[in-house]
Amino acid sequence: MAAVLEAQGLRKEYDGFVALQGLDLTIEEGEVFCLLGANGAGKTTTIQLFLGFIAPTAGQVRIKGLDVGQHGLETKRHLAYIPENVMLYPNLTGLENLEFFTRLAGRDELGETALRETLVEAGLAKEAADRPVRTYSKGMRQKVGVAMAIAKGASALLLDEPTSGLDPKASNEFSQLLARMRDRGVAILMATHDLFHSKEVGTRVGIMKQGRMVGRHATADLSHADLERIYLEHMHD
Amino acid sequence: MMRTVALVARKEMKELVRDGRFRVAGALVLLLLMTALAFGWQQASTLAAERAAAQHVAEEDWKGQGDKNPHVATHYGKYVFKPVGALAFLDPGADPYLGVTLKLQAHQQNLPQDAAARDQASISRFGQLSAATVLQLFVPLLIIALGFGAFSGERERGTLRQVASTGVRPTQLLAGKALGLAAVLGMLLIPAAVVAAVVTLQADGAHDATGGEVGGRLGMMALAYLVYFGAFAGVTFLISARAPSSRFALVALVGFWSLTSLVVPRIAGDVAVRVVPLPTPAEFTQAVRASLEGGLPGSAPREDRVDEISSAMLDKAGFSGAETLMDESALQGIELQAEAAFEDEVYDHHIGQLMEAMARQERAAQWAALASPLLAIRTVSASLAGTDFAHHRAFQVDAERYRKALVQAMNDDFAQNAGTAGWDYKAGREVWEKAPTFEHQPPGLGWALSEQALGWALLGLWLGLAWAAAAWAAARVRVF
Repeated sequence: MAAVLEAQGLRKEYDGFVALQGLDLTIEEGEVFCLLGANGAGKTTTIQLFLGFIAPTAGQVRIKGLDVGQHGLETKRHLAYIPENVMLYPNLTGLENLEFFTRLAGRDELGETALRETLVEAGLAKEAADRPVRTYSKGMRQKVGVAMAIAKGASALLLDEPTSGLDPKASNEFSQLLARMRDRGVAILMATHDLFHSKEVGTRVGIMKQGRMVGRHATADLSHADLERIYLEHMHD
Repeated sequence: MMRTVALVARKEMKELVRDGRFRVAGALVLLLLMTALAFGWQQASTLAAERAAAQHVAEEDWKGQGDKNPHVATHYGKYVFKPVGALAFLDPGADPYLGVTLKLQAHQQNLPQDAAARDQASISRFGQLSAATVLQLFVPLLIIALGFGAFSGERERGTLRQVASTGVRPTQLLAGKALGLAAVLGMLLIPAAVVAAVVTLQADGAHDATGGEVGGRLGMMALAYLVYFGAFAGVTFLISARAPSSRFALVALVGFWSLTSLVVPRIAGDVAVRVVPLPTPAEFTQAVRASLEGGLPGSAPREDRVDEISSAMLDKAGFSGAETLMDESALQGIELQAEAAFEDEVYDHHIGQLMEAMARQERAAQWAALASPLLAIRTVSASLAGTDFAHHRAFQVDAERYRKALVQAMNDDFAQNAGTAGWDYKAGREVWEKAPTFEHQPPGLGWALSEQALGWALLGLWLGLAWAAAAWAAARVRVF
C-alpha cells in the first residue's frame, strides 16, 4: 500500500499559541483516518496544512510524496476538500457548479451526462441538478461536494466535519458515499465529532487534544462502546 | 492556461448576468448613456446649425457691406464662429467654457467671446450629462458595484477556498474574473458604442472633418476608455483581494472613486490656477494698450518701430530713399501695412504669452492625473473629441492667420487701386467677394495624439500599475 497523505513532525504556531505540536501521520490508499477531539484540538489546522492554505511552522506535509509547500498547485490536483459547509455559487445550478469545479480541476473529458450521473451517484435527486444552488439544503450541497470529489478523481479526500448539522439519514448516506470512495482506494482524512460513523467508515481513529495526538486506534479492534469510552477518557483529564 | 481563464470568465459572466445588481445597475447606466447620447447629439446638432448659419450671415454681411474704402472695411471687421466638431456631442470637454464668437478687425486681435456656459445656465447644467460624463463617472461606479466582491465576497461565501483547493493559479483566477467583467460590460457598452459610431459617421457630411479622421478618433476614444475602465477594474480587484471584508472593499472603493473623481480634479484646478496665475481680462487689455502706445518692453517706441518696419518694407520693394517717386496712396498702403505689422508684433507677443501661460496651467493640472485616472481620461477624451483647449488654440491660430490675410488683402487693394483718390477710394462687392473666406480645418488625429502624449502616458501608467498591484494581491489573497 502506498502512502498518500503524510505528515512528519508537523507543528503550527499562531503568535505564540501552539495549534499543533509535532504531528506524525501517514494515511494509505483505501484508508479512512478519523480525527476526533474537541473544538480547538488542531483538527482543522491539520487539514488546512494538507491543503496548503497555511504554512507549517515546522515539519513536513506531503501528498503522494510531494511536499505541499513546494508543489502547492500540483498536490491540489490529487486532493478533494469537503468543508463543514460546502460553499457553492448560489446563482448557478448544481450541475453548473459541479461542471465549473471539475473543469477547474482539469477534468475536461467528463461530459454533461457523466456529470449528471456523478450527481446521482453522490445521492442528489436527478431533478435537483438544474435548480440554482441557493434553493439547496445543506445535505444537498454536501452531496455536490462529494460529486466534485468523485468527478475530480481525487486520490485523497480531506473532510472537515462534513456531516455536522446533517440529519441522521443524510449523515448515513454521506458515510456510505465515503465507504464507497474508500473501497475505490481513496485515502481519506476526516475531522469529525461523529463517533458512530467514525467506527462505521473509519479504518483508524486518532484522538487529538490541545494540538497533540493522544491516542490512535484501529476501528476493527473496537466496539462502538469501546470507542466512546476511550474518547471520553481522553477528554476527561 | 487560457482554458482556465475562459472557464472562470464564463462562470463570472453567468453569475453577474443572473445577479439582480447587474441587471438594475446595468440598465440604469445604459439608460443614462443613451439619454446622454441623444441629448448630446441633439444639442450639438442645434449648435452646429446655429454657428453655420451665423457664419453664413457674417459672410453675406461682409459681401453686402456696400462701397467703402477697403481699409475702413477691415475696421468694421468680420465675425467668425468656431465650428462644432463632429465628436463634440460625445464629449463637450472645455467647449462650453470657451468663446465661440471672434471678431476679426484691423489693428487688434480679439479673443473669442460668448462662451456657451455663460448664457445657458439652466440648459448647460442638464447639458453636462454627456456620454463622456457617464463613461468617466458612472461606468467606474458600475465596475465597482460588480467587482468589489470579486475576491472578498468569494472568501466570505467560502467559495474561494473551494476554488483554491482545485489548484487553480491565482493569476488565472484574476484574469478570468477580469475577462468576465469585461464581457458583461461589453454587453452594455458595445451596443452604445456602435450607436454612437453609426450616428457620427452617418451624419458626417454635416461636419467639416473627413470620415476617416472621425473614424480614427472614435477608435482611439474607444481604446482610451478601455484603458480607463481597465485601470478601474485593476484597482477594484486589488482592493477586493486585499480588503478584510466585502463591506470594507466597497467603502474603500467608493472612497477611492470620490477622492479621485470628485476631490482631486477640484483641487488640481485650484492649485493649477495658483501655481500659474493668469492675468485678468482688464490687466491683459491694459498691458496690450501700454505696449501699443510705448512699444514692447525692450523694444523701440511705437513711432520708431513703425518707421523701422516701413523702411524695411520700402527697401524690400526697391524704393529705398526714393519715396517721392511713389504715389501717395501706395505710400499710404505701405504705411498701413507697417502699422499692422507693428500691432501684430504686440498682439502676437501678448496673446502668445497668454496662450503659453494657459498651456502651462493646463499641464500643471494634467500632472494631477498621477493621483486621478479621471483627469487622465478627461484630457485624452476631450482631445480626441476635439473639444480641449489645444483644439481651441488651433482655432484661434487659424482665425488669426486668416485675419492677417484678410487685412493684408484689403490693404493691398488699397495700395494698388486707390491711385490719386487716396482715402476717398472705395471698393465694392467684387473686392469683398474676392477676399479670402474663413474655413477652419481642425487639426488631425496625429496632432491630437502628440498634444496629449502626457495624458496617454498617465492613463497607461494607471493601467499598468493597477494590474501589477492586482496580480500581486491576487497571488497573496487569503482564502479564509
